[in-house]
Amino acid sequence: MRSVIRSFLRYLARRKSLSILQLLGIALGVAAAVGMMLASRSALESLGSAVDFLKGGTTHTIARPAGPMEETVLAGIMRDPAVRYFAPVIDRKVRLTGGQQIRMLGLDPFLDRNVRSITARIGASAGDGRTGEAFSSFLFDPGAVLVDENMARGLNLSAGSAIATLQGPLNVVHVFSNPSGEPLMIIDVGHAQKFFRMRGYVDRADLVVTDEEAFRQRWATGFTIESNTQKARNLSALLGAFKLNLEALSLFALFVGIFLIYNTAMFAVVSRRRDAGIFLAIGASRGQVAGAFLVEVLILGVAGGALGGVLGYFLSKFLVEIVGGTISTLYFFLRPSALPWSSWNLAGGVFLGSAASIVGSLPPLLELRRVRPVHVLRGRTATRGTSKRMRTIALFGTACLALALVLFGLSFLHAYVGFAGAFAFLLGASFFAGFVIIVATPGMKRLFSRVMGLAGRIAIGNIRENLGRTSVAVAAFMIALSMSIGLGSMIDSFRRSLVWWMDSQLRGDLYISTKADVNVPEELYEELKTVPGIGGIDVFRNVPITFRGRPASITSIDASVLERYDRFGWLEGGDGSWERVKRGDVIVSESFSRRFKVGTGSRITIETARGPAELLVAGVYYDYASEHGVVMMDRSVYLRLFRDRTINSLGIFIDEGNQDRAKIIEEVKRRARSFGLPFATREEFHGRILDIFDSTFAVTRSMRVLAVIVAFFGIAGALMTLFVERQKEFGVYRALGFTTGDVARMTVAESLGLGLISFLMSAVVGTVFALILIKVINLQSFNWTIFYHFTARPYVVTGLTALAASLAACAYPVWSVVRKYPVMQIREE
Amino acid sequence: MTTRPALLLRALAGLIVLVLLWSLFAGLPRDLFGQGWRQAEATRQWSFPRDHGSHPEYRTEWWYFTGNLADSEGKRYGYQLTFFRYGLALEAQDPSSSWSVRDVYLAHFAITDASRGGFHWRDRASRKGPGLAGAATGTMDIHVLNWSARMKDDGRITLKAAQDGMELDLNLTPAKPPVLHGRQGLSRKGPRPGQASHYYSFTDLTARGTLRVPGMKDPVAVKGTSWFDQEFGSNQLSQEQAGWDWFALHLSDGRDLMIYYLRRKDGTFERESSGTLVERDGTSRHLALGDIETEVLSHWKSAKTAGRYPAAWRIRVPAAAIDVTVRPLVADQELVTTASTGITYWEGAVDGRGTSGEKEVSAEGYVELTGYAGSLGGKF
Repeated sequence: MRSVIRSFLRYLARRKSLSILQLLGIALGVAAAVGMMLASRSALESLGSAVDFLKGGTTHTIARPAGPMEETVLAGIMRDPAVRYFAPVIDRKVRLTGGQQIRMLGLDPFLDRNVRSITARIGASAGDGRTGEAFSSFLFDPGAVLVDENMARGLNLSAGSAIATLQGPLNVVHVFSNPSGEPLMIIDVGHAQKFFRMRGYVDRADLVVTDEEAFRQRWATGFTIESNTQKARNLSALLGAFKLNLEALSLFALFVGIFLIYNTAMFAVVSRRRDAGIFLAIGASRGQVAGAFLVEVLILGVAGGALGGVLGYFLSKFLVEIVGGTISTLYFFLRPSALPWSSWNLAGGVFLGSAASIVGSLPPLLELRRVRPVHVLRGRTATRGTSKRMRTIALFGTACLALALVLFGLSFLHAYVGFAGAFAFLLGASFFAGFVIIVATPGMKRLFSRVMGLAGRIAIGNIRENLGRTSVAVAAFMIALSMSIGLGSMIDSFRRSLVWWMDSQLRGDLYISTKADVNVPEELYEELKTVPGIGGIDVFRNVPITFRGRPASITSIDASVLERYDRFGWLEGGDGSWERVKRGDVIVSESFSRRFKVGTGSRITIETARGPAELLVAGVYYDYASEHGVVMMDRSVYLRLFRDRTINSLGIFIDEGNQDRAKIIEEVKRRARSFGLPFATREEFHGRILDIFDSTFAVTRSMRVLAVIVAFFGIAGALMTLFVERQKEFGVYRALGFTTGDVARMTVAESLGLGLISFLMSAVVGTVFALILIKVINLQSFNWTIFYHFTARPYVVTGLTALAASLAACAYPVWSVVRKYPVMQIREE
Repeated sequence: MTTRPALLLRALAGLIVLVLLWSLFAGLPRDLFGQGWRQAEATRQWSFPRDHGSHPEYRTEWWYFTGNLADSEGKRYGYQLTFFRYGLALEAQDPSSSWSVRDVYLAHFAITDASRGGFHWRDRASRKGPGLAGAATGTMDIHVLNWSARMKDDGRITLKAAQDGMELDLNLTPAKPPVLHGRQGLSRKGPRPGQASHYYSFTDLTARGTLRVPGMKDPVAVKGTSWFDQEFGSNQLSQEQAGWDWFALHLSDGRDLMIYYLRRKDGTFERESSGTLVERDGTSRHLALGDIETEVLSHWKSAKTAGRYPAAWRIRVPAAAIDVTVRPLVADQELVTTASTGITYWEGAVDGRGTSGEKEVSAEGYVELTGYAGSLGGKF
């Protein structure tokens, strides 16, 4: 037994390049899966620590359901026996003149020190003499701010530095440490009121409550009370769809990875059939041979898995940055730090690598047990009856596809069911690889013989002859290419849908500030109303709410302006709905409608500053602004229900054909500038949204790249095994009168043939996969309709990738054909 | 009386003293510097209840309640509820904003639970804000968040404070008229002009109400006697002072005795250290340093702060035939006010026995000891 194993292992060493390729194949498969899983895990785990830092010792927060809270409420909170500590908070954003947005908290250092340590340590690092100076500046200098270390480092600030913002200058009196990583400024609450023009108001109070139930009872009407556990849950709920997406990507990575490992292991075994025959012929038992195979595959699996674990760890460091960036852009600030190195990464990699390897080697090993030594020794590498078997396998694939269909039908149960369906589909499609090769062979033969002559014809014949191996290679390559096409098509379709949506809903000529930006003072709105030539001003306000225990938001707009200038896309209702919105009804976004199962005519109850209010739904519109759902109402209704006059942004509309358009826009810009507010033209605004969109899909895109890399190694490994295994045949060809060039061309043709079949198959599978992503996965997790748009780009990109991979994969075999020709003989060694 | 100004400054040490120190050196902002505040230099025309209210023209001011209480089972308690006002600026920068700072209000709250040997305290600080803290002028109406002291029209005072299982709800009725300390209420703290404060007390208040300490399910009804001090000034302290010992004692024959010793760093007492004796009928007389003899009988060392405090005294006022020995009800009545101010001092309920006018008397009251833990002296 030992000598059998030793001989097998010597083979590994002898075929160094092949072994390395196989090792890399396994390593990359493992790395993709481990990297993605680690990245999404660290992003989600850092959620808690991000919240913890600012939370300090508080247990609850109290705020108005929308907009700021009157500061007089604080005295009532102060007298409440269930409140141990309370601290007012103003939580806003400041735009630096450099364009950067920074979160700024207005705090009261006297009360805040009971719940948080930030203000308690003002000047602490500066030594005694400076402590008083810093504290007195903080209290008395209207522009004095504390700056967190991250921001200080990023902008090269220290105590004494000045910060220029659109809303006026600030100066740093102290730098504090901030483990959350979020750039942060702290200003005295009184100065914050002045700075943000919100005298008499705070955004919320952070509380330490001892008797939650009693407190909630006393503050039930007109206030939103949120415990910290709720807050964490809400944040997590905000990320729900995104989280799901990350999980899906990790699973896809795992799927591709396992497929690749399986593929590699299978080739490792198949390529050794002849050796197995020899051992059997010289008296080794089948068990010994199978054992030796297993040892070899395990060594590959363990080594590749371990390498993959390490690679995956480094990959996760890269991916976690992207994931954090996306969450920060879309939801709230999060700077996840990659999880520290743990030997579990290694263990997980080894487990994944060896388990997938063993699974991959099982079918050929089982086949090996039936092998007749004489048969393999005769040198025939192709197996008979494969075409029949391929049909059986295709039947199995059909069953998988049927299962996928059933799962899609049930996907309303849970998003995971949709995922399972997508996997079943990909798996099912992969079973058709052999069948497709058989079907495609005649056509391919004609094509290749026309282009490359006899060499091309023989090459395609070889693909057909070696079906057992080539079908696996095609399946793996095809899956990777399909993912690339599917993800690419989905992103392109989404992008197109987004452009359509922006063109229908964001038709203003100029936008002052944006939803996530600094607020617009009402004075500016009043002022702009007097500017002649402006057709309409939409006053936009968006506030997050909790509806039926889940996050959603309310958007208030000026219905008559939107009715006149916008062209909403309606699922239910139509432009006539605006009349009803003006009268006090609301319209809801598609995601709201799907998530909460409400439609035109439904009545929804929303917590307002006046207590619960019942509103009638007058329409459902397409929307990609928030996957959590939006309730849109006229500003007059909003003001009545929430008594919140905050304005997030203004949309300026000018009638078409107005001669003074440019002049009016200039005038509006001038006034916005005088208020220190940012603005953007329609094109700039749309461009910014598209930028955000693109950055959102950064993770998906990197997964696509990963899939392609994995595919490359898959196809390269498969091809090399095929060629190495059949090197002797090249000698035969040479003896038959083929030139070295012919043999090389044949090799290239075979590689290209495999690439072409894989690509053609992936074009179909990838398109269906895109449709699955759009119609099932996205609809289930984000609750919005994406319209499928055919774009050639994903196909071109993927086709070129397939071509490049095929050419690169055959480079080594061709080189080895040319180099080794003289020693390649027909004779047996 | 020196105790309180120094204690106040000490109480603000964490933040404000340093602001002051800095402003002394840097001269900015102007308002923080002592200039502009009214000095306690001459006797004033007292008028009550107006003078129970705040005197914002002076930089520092405090309202100081201490008392010895007992419930129906005879279990004994002590309490301290103190409010401080400290002026950071002569005028608020932006009077239209409630947050614009003129004064900082601080408060200390402590309950001694003699039967269980417990001592509980909390402290806090706030600016005026939208009704968060303040002291009215013209009448006694002070609050720091939800701790308050308010005098009603009939002259009775209501104290309310609650936090973390501690609760105090007392009605105080003056049994004697206000007592002016020093000369006409001008209490000298040192040799230099302006080193003084305006200082008066209700030395004998009948207290009734309820009290709760952590671990008690419901508040218990209590009654007893209380002592109230109010003092205000702007610049009383001398640099050489190390700390002070303050005694406020009720004798069972109806006499009340207040003594303060201002300890200098060189180990001697400040010459202005003195006291006041209040007779049963409310008449009072000033006691000079030489009129009082005090002997420390034992010490107690704090495990928390390593401060070593006197823990039993024999006090004699020969001219009044007073000779009493008092000891703390609970050894550890040390406050470490890290939550707001960072100062450490001992302030606790005491009791004892002795003679007054040749008659056997019992005594109870409060003692305050500062400058025993940490380096108080250098800073003032």
